Amino acid sequence: MTLTPHTENDAAYGIRNAASRGTMLSIMGGGTRSGFGNSVLAEETLSSSALTGIVDYEPAEMVMTAKAGTPVAEIEALLAVNRQMMGFEPMDHRAVMGTAGEPTIGGVFAANVSGPRRFVAGAARDSLLGIRFVNGRGEIIRAGGRVMKNVTGLDLVKLLAGSHGTLGFLTEVTFRVLPVPATVETIVLSGLDDQAATQAMAVAMAMPVEVSGAAHLPQTVRGRFPSVELPDGEATVLRLEGLEASVSVRAEKLCDMMRSFGSVSRLGPDLSRNLWKEIRDVAPYKGFPNKPLWRVSVAPSIGHQLVAALRLEAGVDAFYDWQGGLVWMQMEADPEEQRLRRYIKALGGGHATLVRAPDAVRERLEAFHPECDAVAALSARVKQKLDPDGIFNPGKMAGV
Amino acid sequence: MQTSFTAEQLADPQVAESEKILRRCVHCGFCTATCPTYVTLGNELDSPRGRIYLIKDMLENGRAADAEVVTHIDRCLSCLACVTTCPSGVDYMHLVDHARVHIEKTYRRPLIDRMIRNVLAGVLPYPKRFRTALALAKVSRPLAPFFDRLSPLKPLAAMLQLAPTGALRRSDSMQPGSRAPEAERRGRVAILSGCAQPVLDPGINEATIRLLTRLGIEVVVPEGEGCCGALVHHMGKEDPALGFARSNVDAWTREIEAGGLDAIIITTSGCGTTVKDYGHMLRLDPHYAKKAAHVSALAKDVTEYLATLDLPKLNSRELTVTYHSACSMQHGQKITMAPKNLLKNAGFVVRDPPEGHLCCGSAGTYNIMQPEISQQLKARKVKNIEATRPDLIATGNIGCMTQIGTGTSIPIVHTIELLDWAYGGPKPAKLH
Amino acid sequence: MSEAIRFLKPRTAVVARRATIIGDLVDLLPPECVVHEARELVPFETDAFVAYRRLPLAVVLPKTTEQVAAVMRYCHRYGIPVIARGAGTSLSGGAIPQEDAVVLGLSKMTRILEVDPANRTATVQAGVTNLRISDAVSPEGFFYAPDPSSQLACTIGGNIGMNSGGAHCLKYGVTTNNLLGVTMVLVDGTVIELGGKHLDPAGYDLLGLVCGSEGQLGIVTEATVRLIAKPEGARPVLFGFDTSQEAGACVADVIGSGIIPVAIEFMDKPAIEICEAFAQAGYPLDVGALLIVEVEGSEAEMEATLKKIVEIAGRHGVRTVRESQSATEAALIWKGRKSAFGATGRISDYICMDGTVPLGKLSYVLEKTSEIVERFGLRVANVFHAGDGNMHPLILFNANDPEDAARAEEAGNEILKLCVDAGGCLTGEHGVGIEKRDLMRHQYSDADLNQQMAVRAAFDPDWILNPSKVFPLEGRPAA
Repeated sequence: MTLTPHTENDAAYGIRNAASRGTMLSIMGGGTRSGFGNSVLAEETLSSSALTGIVDYEPAEMVMTAKAGTPVAEIEALLAVNRQMMGFEPMDHRAVMGTAGEPTIGGVFAANVSGPRRFVAGAARDSLLGIRFVNGRGEIIRAGGRVMKNVTGLDLVKLLAGSHGTLGFLTEVTFRVLPVPATVETIVLSGLDDQAATQAMAVAMAMPVEVSGAAHLPQTVRGRFPSVELPDGEATVLRLEGLEASVSVRAEKLCDMMRSFGSVSRLGPDLSRNLWKEIRDVAPYKGFPNKPLWRVSVAPSIGHQLVAALRLEAGVDAFYDWQGGLVWMQMEADPEEQRLRRYIKALGGGHATLVRAPDAVRERLEAFHPECDAVAALSARVKQKLDPDGIFNPGKMAGV
Repeated sequence: MQTSFTAEQLADPQVAESEKILRRCVHCGFCTATCPTYVTLGNELDSPRGRIYLIKDMLENGRAADAEVVTHIDRCLSCLACVTTCPSGVDYMHLVDHARVHIEKTYRRPLIDRMIRNVLAGVLPYPKRFRTALALAKVSRPLAPFFDRLSPLKPLAAMLQLAPTGALRRSDSMQPGSRAPEAERRGRVAILSGCAQPVLDPGINEATIRLLTRLGIEVVVPEGEGCCGALVHHMGKEDPALGFARSNVDAWTREIEAGGLDAIIITTSGCGTTVKDYGHMLRLDPHYAKKAAHVSALAKDVTEYLATLDLPKLNSRELTVTYHSACSMQHGQKITMAPKNLLKNAGFVVRDPPEGHLCCGSAGTYNIMQPEISQQLKARKVKNIEATRPDLIATGNIGCMTQIGTGTSIPIVHTIELLDWAYGGPKPAKLH
Repeated sequence: MSEAIRFLKPRTAVVARRATIIGDLVDLLPPECVVHEARELVPFETDAFVAYRRLPLAVVLPKTTEQVAAVMRYCHRYGIPVIARGAGTSLSGGAIPQEDAVVLGLSKMTRILEVDPANRTATVQAGVTNLRISDAVSPEGFFYAPDPSSQLACTIGGNIGMNSGGAHCLKYGVTTNNLLGVTMVLVDGTVIELGGKHLDPAGYDLLGLVCGSEGQLGIVTEATVRLIAKPEGARPVLFGFDTSQEAGACVADVIGSGIIPVAIEFMDKPAIEICEAFAQAGYPLDVGALLIVEVEGSEAEMEATLKKIVEIAGRHGVRTVRESQSATEAALIWKGRKSAFGATGRISDYICMDGTVPLGKLSYVLEKTSEIVERFGLRVANVFHAGDGNMHPLILFNANDPEDAARAEEAGNEILKLCVDAGGCLTGEHGVGIEKRDLMRHQYSDADLNQQMAVRAAFDPDWILNPSKVFPLEGRPAA
């Protein structure tokens, strides 16, 4: 059975009701990320799909408030009219996860979904200013607000962001938006191996040129960005955005420096936009529903070391975003969970989340990276304080 | 900041002044960041804000000083970095001066502490006694490690270690009298001959007199000049401090009345800070207040005075000088650019060390009274200076020269010695 | 001293055992790390919010995470409240102790543990000052972005506690946006690590929750922060207006036009005069309001951005536009701004408000603020981060006059309520502390607050960490 409340009060009522009956609820937005995380064991589904509409939008203040079930497409369309955007570039999971439906803004924040600009402009959670949600007792809770700077009380906004519907049912979100850069350009460095590319990206990030995207696309994936033909060899791509005059000056400066690493070419605005959208959506790994896909977050300098270590022992293909710190890793067959997690720990820490795998695989392994005991216990206590009966998305996240 | 003094307490002009100072403090804490002892010890009690609070508590309650308060006030270097930092304009210098006098009046120090202080107060300000003491120190040096092992005697060890090992050159260059200008006459100044400096390094005043007279300045060494009083002033010994001040005010006033003075030149910035404060120190003395204020107005660091003389620009020379700004120079007198500009103008490559605002740990007799903190500050200062890879170090205070000089092999000279050299004088002895 | 805000009643069982507790703490830590003599406790009785003061039971100044853990284990066992203290620069009284509490100061934990240019991170102990991080990474071409005005003195631990902002947060975000990881001691002495050099949490964003939690969830002992490449150039420009309303409208228009300068700071006439007297930065004294707008990047970039801003300012009747001509001048302009609060101390006692309002309400709130303050017969100086609507009215009063102090506090409360009613919040960057605690119900419903308190209790079920702060004393869950 699916509950589809039309108002926040309805949602609260439904949740109170479910709590009193001890009914477990699977929380759903547009369902485009429904395969994310562990399987949920719930009797009923609670959908935000009828809680829609942009409540408030002040372009001059760069702030928007929308109900949780509002389609991302609707928000992006309205923002575009005002030449604004969500700075954190939320990824669209549909292609890579093989799902259909409409991503919702609530889903974006519940999963803290960010794209290539995340490593300089922050994640979805960094743009999220305020939320309304219903907790596991059916109480309507407001946290944060609609101003950029707000340290009034505990930051439940951050806590709820990325909690995958396990702590509360989001009903409304208020978030910061940014002006769309006047232009964008991409510097392509060709022929670098993973290690050299990591070095080059670190050098670029240390320069005062405001790189807003830094990805390395090894030979295996280079040809898998349908709308862009990249030069031969591995491609290390660096994005520059801003006013035209400024971008061209910075591009020159960056090219000059990067020539010492390899041959340099440039992509103009249109191709750049396409390329970064495809990087955002992990285009190279779409269409392989049976190959396990990991999203690995580590320190930028160790992403390539992790891949190199795994390659010796496992069938792995990978490309890098976030200066090398975000590794999209597609496994040939075996998810190699233990090995992957062991190496992450050995190399200094980080985490791997299973984004996609055949059902049989998903059933037997933990999608989220296990936390150490003390942190897991703390997380469980936090969960208990928001959802005392454990009715939201039971089983979805490890240990809570 | 809120204060609570009774009308009766405020009738005491010293208390009234301190109350006014305290009222300005907003307790923002900025001062902690640039305080050398807070940076070293990490305890707010050893920061300006902590000390202000301790002093406030002591004065408000009209209480005698006690061991805890004395410990933390004694650790204050009086470097006045906090005064530079303070956005509210808290006059910490006069507040801590008041506290030191209060301590001296109301607190009985342990015997050894008292003895050491009395010895220092009885020797350092008097060149002849100081010279004799240094000769004794040279032969007693082997005792230093012994003293160093016994906590209350550590100051003795520090004293012996700071005493110069080489032979002290005697100089009669500071005999009272006038030195005529060697070029067209441009002015007339008195020079503070000082106490410890001419014994430790007579070359500094000699260079000053040479350079000034070459520039057409008549330089007078007035009869009756003595120690500026800073050493005893910082120990809270108010009466002897005022005694020194009065006698110097008298000596200079005689010169002012005799031939007029354009400035009173001071070559040790620690003394400069004090002489510039004579007006304040003697403000309550009806016989001296006016004269003292006039003297303070005439007091100039030698670089401050030279900056007004428009020296010619010289060709650059391949010598890198790291300029160490003494606390009394940069914080006490707020002279920051003049010495560096003079050196640059004279052709030297001038560098600033990192953390230039931090004291080197010399601070008058601090390196004797608080050897442990002083040593840490010296090491930090030397490290910062050496990081700039200079050929030599220049500074404007004999205390810093002695302190830093015992921590590095890079030669350290007085700014004026370099300027004298650049403008036709002899090369400073330490650079040979 | 005003006593409108209450503290929790001291736990008599703790106060009665004072001598034993001090003896035990002395056993746990090196001698120089425990302060307990009555005289020596006085300087710890308050922070930069001097209206309220309480003597602590003792002060500990541990040097290592292990020592912090030992203190926490001990205090947890005996139910002794613990107040974390960085540099004691809180403007909301976040570090004010209470009679039954141990102040846990981080001022001896001042080591910079690692600068990692390749990953653009620095890892430091919690007692390292904000500015020292930038100084330490400057040779590598980086800086640490959040820059509270007290950055010279305030510690990164305190910044995390308060989720501190600063002038340059308009572009770079506040502490929470620049914090990658912490080592933290939980209330029972357990040491945990949250985050690291990687981005995003593996599970719940506990790091996001800890940031800004005002010492209620644990004691942060180490932090890993994100570094940013220093811009090629940065230039503050002064825009003088006749009225605060014009300046306020100009700010909203600049942001609305799609330009995000690095900083937009506002000063009204009293603030200009105060800051100019201290810094001699060359602020125009013949205007009613001043904006400091900083642009950065290459020369061409700064030119282009500035041109647009000047054009917009022109539409709002700008009187003077002055670009800083040198690095020294730029430094002075910022020195004046960042010293504004302290410099106000030259002329008067003050309390500083910190409400944030939506940009469109700036002019309205400024006007109402003057009305409120005038009604109480007081004066106000305004100096604040206009680009993000974070206001700092400084209410001037005489601290030695209890009635004046009470009026100032009341006026402050009205101003903060005004900010909330205008769609903003009580505090943008200074934290709730003790100062705004009793106003929390004006911003939040009972359910909202109960939820926050419940989450707090997940970390500290017995409420021993900074227990008198943030949440109104009435209506707390039973411990």
